[in-house]
Amino acid sequence: MIDALFPSYPLPQDVVDDLLDTIRRDWTFWGPCSGEDEVWRLQPLPEGLWPANAVTTFLTVKKLLLPQRAALWSHDQNSYRKAGAASPVAVIGVPLCDLQAVWYLDQVFAEDEPYLDRRKQLLLIGMPCEPGAECRCSRQLMPLAGDLFVGADRVWALSRAGQGLLLECACGVAEEMPLPWPEGPDGQRSQISEDLFLSSAAASIWFDESQRCLSCGACSAVCPTCYCFDLLDSAALDGSVVRRRAWDNCFFAEHGKVAGGHDFRPGRADRLRFRMEHKLLGFGDLRGQNSCVGCGRCRGVCPAEIDLDRIAEQLHLEVGS
Amino acid sequence: MMHDLQPVPAVLVKIVPMVVDNHLFAFRPEQPLADIMPGQFVEVSISGVGSFPVSSCDLVRDGRIMSCIRRAGRVTDALYRLKEGDTVGLRGPFGNGFPLQRFAGHDVLLIAGGLGMAPLRGLLQALLEDHDRQGRIMVLYGSREPGGLLFYDELVGLSQQGRISVRFSVDFAETLPGPHPQVFCRIGLVSELLEGLQFAPRRTVAAVCGPPALYRCVLEELALTGIAPARIFVTLERRMRCGIGECCHCVTGGRYICRDGPVFSLEQLRGMAGAI
Ligand SMILES: Cc1cc2nc3c(=O)[nH]c(=O)nc-3n(C[C@H](O)[C@H](O)[C@H](O)COP(=O)(O)OP(=O)(O)OC[C@H]3O[C@@H](n4cnc5c(N)ncnc54)[C@H](O)[C@@H]3O)c2cc1C
Ligand code: SF4
Ligand code: SF4
Ligand code: FES
Repeated sequence: MIDALFPSYPLPQDVVDDLLDTIRRDWTFWGPCSGEDEVWRLQPLPEGLWPANAVTTFLTVKKLLLPQRAALWSHDQNSYRKAGAASPVAVIGVPLCDLQAVWYLDQVFAEDEPYLDRRKQLLLIGMPCEPGAECRCSRQLMPLAGDLFVGADRVWALSRAGQGLLLECACGVAEEMPLPWPEGPDGQRSQISEDLFLSSAAASIWFDESQRCLSCGACSAVCPTCYCFDLLDSAALDGSVVRRRAWDNCFFAEHGKVAGGHDFRPGRADRLRFRMEHKLLGFGDLRGQNSCVGCGRCRGVCPAEIDLDRIAEQLHLEVGS
Repeated sequence: MMHDLQPVPAVLVKIVPMVVDNHLFAFRPEQPLADIMPGQFVEVSISGVGSFPVSSCDLVRDGRIMSCIRRAGRVTDALYRLKEGDTVGLRGPFGNGFPLQRFAGHDVLLIAGGLGMAPLRGLLQALLEDHDRQGRIMVLYGSREPGGLLFYDELVGLSQQGRISVRFSVDFAETLPGPHPQVFCRIGLVSELLEGLQFAPRRTVAAVCGPPALYRCVLEELALTGIAPARIFVTLERRMRCGIGECCHCVTGGRYICRDGPVFSLEQLRGMAGAI
């Protein structure tokens, strides 16, 4: 996976135009848009406006794959009906870290039809980025998902669909090349081992840091690989019911509580430790796969300045060696 | 296996009141679900209210799924307001269930606390209906009070027929339950029922189900009797929303309890931080 090669084609301006026109025929373009508040959001792009670079938008492609509240089915009389299909969207200007995050979600939701229905409607187009101060991405962390990667003067096909589009636009002869990962951030990532984690239950860092946590849930909302969810029903006036999959958060007090009041993660320290375990060690079959792609969003958004990298560093000092 | 998180409509065909706020509910799904093995569970969905996980307490008979459900909160309360003939939704079955082949050819010790009798009763039915089965079945069952003992008459009946042996315990009581004077029942914790119990640990497989407090006191004690930790099976309760290893609510020791479990051996649990 390290320095994976993908078919890459030269990309003169007329081919870019062709390519975008071809995509526009079947997909609606979404990309990073900066509002008056100077926050970059992932939104439908005004016609003819293309991002110059990838941007780590406030929310990620996750909001299209697992929307904050997405209907799964509706129920009336005595039948359940699958929710309406999502429409095709091409997301352009996706940074490499977020493409890795989609790969990770693809593994988690590999058997989930509502997810896959949405996933099939997405065309993901990566672009080069300028690493910011918060960036800790690593090309070696995990493979990436996506269809195309549009660079300054070359374009890469990342999937069969992407390859098909490039053939349609007669892009010329392919050469196997690595993607232009940004220089710099690689290697500064936080890692913890299973052993370090297991022996850290009583470490003071969990208590010190979690004391400040407001349980606002912002960190996992912005995280491209956080995927906890709840299932919520709402009833309409005509008596029909819609069940939605809605973002949940492991910092919320109810997350590990069962009827009768027993709570399997009663304290904020338990919850912080749970999030850290999920990010850096993973759950189930993905145990061992660090899923923090290093985008820095959680660090940026947290009102309490809770920083997973600093916690990992502290753990090494407090418990490690 | 692909999942769409969509329930199958199921008719609530029978409600049998057993103990206050612990009724038996029989559901008949409109399209048959895959067979539910003892220890597996389904998600019962009541549209407009929500859903909850519940184990089956019997084998599936005539396409009916039987559960013993406690009125414990919002969604179970809504279930208690339904009548026979009403419809609910079912998803599942989920989870691994008890490894029945590991119980074959062994004596079996079932230890239940409170509502923990529900999944173990499903296991007991499977054991009793395996006509090739050899070996004793011992049931130790504790409840807060005599009135809370589920399947009491049935267990006493089976014991009188000599098909199982059974011992009850209650946390407190003025009078111990009748009308079966020969029934063994004492005041105390269910773990105390192990005292003086004659059994051959090397030939015995145990299954335990109950609230978290029961696990803390009984599991290691069982291991001390000489039953190998790999032959002590426990079913874990966690908050479960999806049942398919996605929503993360049930995760313990890095594992999805809904998918890898809910049944684990004590040997496995010892390696899962926070499991007990
Ligand atoms: C594998 C498994 C098997 C179970 N088998 C039985 C059984 O045979 N009989 C029985 O009466 N109960 C059983 N339970 C417990 C039952 O699921 C809870 O009592 C029920 O979820 C309470 O739901 P509620 O909405 O009425 O309660 P509330 O407290 O109002 O709960 C609201 C929501 O939180 C979740 N939740 C709360 N408590 C639990 C819990 N204990 N487990 C999982 N999710 C919870 C539910 O999804 C529920 O919709 C089982 C639980 C699990 C995990
Ligand atoms: S830096 Fe924070 S938001 Fe970004 S992937 Fe890692 S944990 Fe998630
Ligand atoms: S963003 Fe910060 S304060 Fe909010 S839940 Fe996450 S860690 Fe806690
Ligand atoms: S119940 Fe959702 S992951 Fe286990």
